[in-house]
Amino acid sequence: MRFLLRLSKPKEDPLNKVFVLIKREYLIRVKTKGFIFGTLFLPLFVLFIGLIPVLLGRFAGEGQKQIAVIDLSQRVFNPLDTYLNEIKTDNEGQPLYQLERIETDPGTLEAKKSSLNEQVEKGEWDVFLVIPEDVFTSNQFELYAKNVSNFDFNATLENAVSNVVSVMRLNESGLDHELIDRLIQRVQVKTFKVDEAGAKEESSMASFWISYVMVFLLYMVLIFYGQFVMRGVIEDKVSRVIEVVLSSVKPYQMMAGKIIGIGSVGLTQFLIWIGCLFFISSYGTVLLGQMGTGFNITIPSLSIWVFLSFILYFLLGYFLYAALYAAMGSMASSESDAQNLQWPAVSMIILSFMLMLFVVVRDPTSTLSVVLSLVPFFSPILMFTRISVNSAPLNQVILSIVLSVVMIIGLIWIGGRIFRVGILMYGKRANLKEAIKWIRYS
Amino acid sequence: MDILKVDQVSKSFGDVHAVKDLSFFVKERQVFGLLGPNGAGKTTMIRMIMQILLPDRGSIHIFEKPLSPDILDEIGYLPEERGLFPKMKVIDTVTFFGEIHGIGHSESVRRADTLLKRLELYEWRDKKVEELSRGMQQKLQFICTILHKPKLLILDEPFTGLDPVNTNLLKDVMVELKGEGTTIIFSTHLMEQVEKLCESICLINKGEAILSGSLREVKSKFGKNRVRLSYEGKADFLKDKTLVDQYDDYGQYVEIGLAKNRTSKELLQKAIDTVTLHQFEMAEPSLNEIFITVVKAEGGSLE
Repeated sequence: MRFLLRLSKPKEDPLNKVFVLIKREYLIRVKTKGFIFGTLFLPLFVLFIGLIPVLLGRFAGEGQKQIAVIDLSQRVFNPLDTYLNEIKTDNEGQPLYQLERIETDPGTLEAKKSSLNEQVEKGEWDVFLVIPEDVFTSNQFELYAKNVSNFDFNATLENAVSNVVSVMRLNESGLDHELIDRLIQRVQVKTFKVDEAGAKEESSMASFWISYVMVFLLYMVLIFYGQFVMRGVIEDKVSRVIEVVLSSVKPYQMMAGKIIGIGSVGLTQFLIWIGCLFFISSYGTVLLGQMGTGFNITIPSLSIWVFLSFILYFLLGYFLYAALYAAMGSMASSESDAQNLQWPAVSMIILSFMLMLFVVVRDPTSTLSVVLSLVPFFSPILMFTRISVNSAPLNQVILSIVLSVVMIIGLIWIGGRIFRVGILMYGKRANLKEAIKWIRYS
Repeated sequence: MDILKVDQVSKSFGDVHAVKDLSFFVKERQVFGLLGPNGAGKTTMIRMIMQILLPDRGSIHIFEKPLSPDILDEIGYLPEERGLFPKMKVIDTVTFFGEIHGIGHSESVRRADTLLKRLELYEWRDKKVEELSRGMQQKLQFICTILHKPKLLILDEPFTGLDPVNTNLLKDVMVELKGEGTTIIFSTHLMEQVEKLCESICLINKGEAILSGSLREVKSKFGKNRVRLSYEGKADFLKDKTLVDQYDDYGQYVEIGLAKNRTSKELLQKAIDTVTLHQFEMAEPSLNEIFITVVKAEGGSLE
């Protein structure tokens, strides 16, 4: 009977209850296999996509190309061998191309070629070259391979032969060796990362790429997490648990708990993703470099301000749409009801994305872009896009934040009223007329 | 002290008057039965007490204070529509409802374990709610309702769906709670339970109170004109509407409700004259009979 002893209870503060609700909403979602899988899968997927070229490079490196060369000119083979050994080496400095000279004379050439053909067929050689006697004047050589569409490989061989032949021509012209070396010195490309302060022109592709990825993430997350909120409300309605919870909290606390709880799940997932993106963009190049692939790409770096505004606009967008979705969820009695109810919110998000693609990206500073990016429903995607391509002045950013916050407060007020009535309604789906009645009903 | 005082409360949904000028009060440490047929307005009334619905008119006082969110933590509420989070573990569910009523986490876990043992659910402690049977879920829900040791317990149809063993278990815990000083209001249409547990009742039909007071008062009011009769022969006098208002033939005996202003003496005289009597008894009506009689009279007051 001791368990029935009454203890004096401390006065409860309403925020504490909201916190309990948030904790429940958060833990029950974060602990699921789906969340863990989904959260880890995306960065791994991105990493995998990023690593494919690296891995391919590795595999290519393992297989040394066996090249047979019939050098009828009798002069090209040795410099070609040396040249290829210099430019094409794997990580350990071993040559990637193994050249072998096939002795022949014009009389047995055709027989030799057909026997080499067979050997290529069997895989003993990857390719064989026939360098004609008159290579210096005909400017042609022949390449035989099972698959002649490997452009990179063919181009390398073509360049190499062409280079060797050119050098030899130059040598024969009587020019000084050193002069020739200097004259034919290859021009190499050096890549630089360009930050915001620097030249914009060069980084526009890269910055577009990264903002596109982030805007797309924002778009997906707004749609997904809005629906999570709606589905969460419907689940609680279907399991009839709402009335039990309402015996100790007010509807507005319940709505706040749901929205903030699910929002925190989204934020967690986001921070993990963005953290990965941040990591890849900061260290990716270094990492790839250390892998010694010689694979030269520039990964655009993500500025901390873009990162922070991303989080900010995620939160603004999320709260704006979550209030709508919560109200819609409360009006529905089943998932299928919800499908019909959610179109206003979904179409707003899709419209934002369309406007981003067709208006804002084309000219982020046009009057239309500025005006649209200030509309609260569009701000999350449009203003963030403008920030990420560095074309949003601070005063416009602040204005959009203020407008969004005002809108959020309004929507939460309206949504809360619909929610309060809707969550106890069962059986039929409420229509817009009824919802308006609920808003007016105190 | 009146733990709950409902004064002239009305509530309509559109054209439907769910509750009409309803008044009743519940004394401290009482077990109070809110009775009525389906659709009588019990659940609406309870939802107004729980501040889930707002009354159109009238006032409700709990602990002699007007309704406010502060008092919710002093109340335990088991709604008619049972509901738990299906994906949550049993222990997490109980502690969630503890915490939401302002009990700290560790204290909630401690109480939860005690109650899970008491209601024979402890071996399910780490299972998910959806794995439990209906009956077990109902016991779990009951635990969630009483974990925060409310002063007032409101149970809407607490016994429906429970087998006799579990019904008894739940009843025992309710009696323990009453012993501890908890006031219990429960709504039901199972009169048998009310008869065993309730000290006071309020019977409502179509949103109006048609009978209220202590069980003893209610019964004695009906007891005056009820007779239980066992006989052999042809009892034509039962059809005499001026003498017998209504009767139920159970085979072994007949229960008779006397017409207004007629006495049992007159009935006995008639019976002796026509049939061979085995038994003639002034009966206390069962609540079930009262319920049926009163509700059949379609809300007409019997006073």
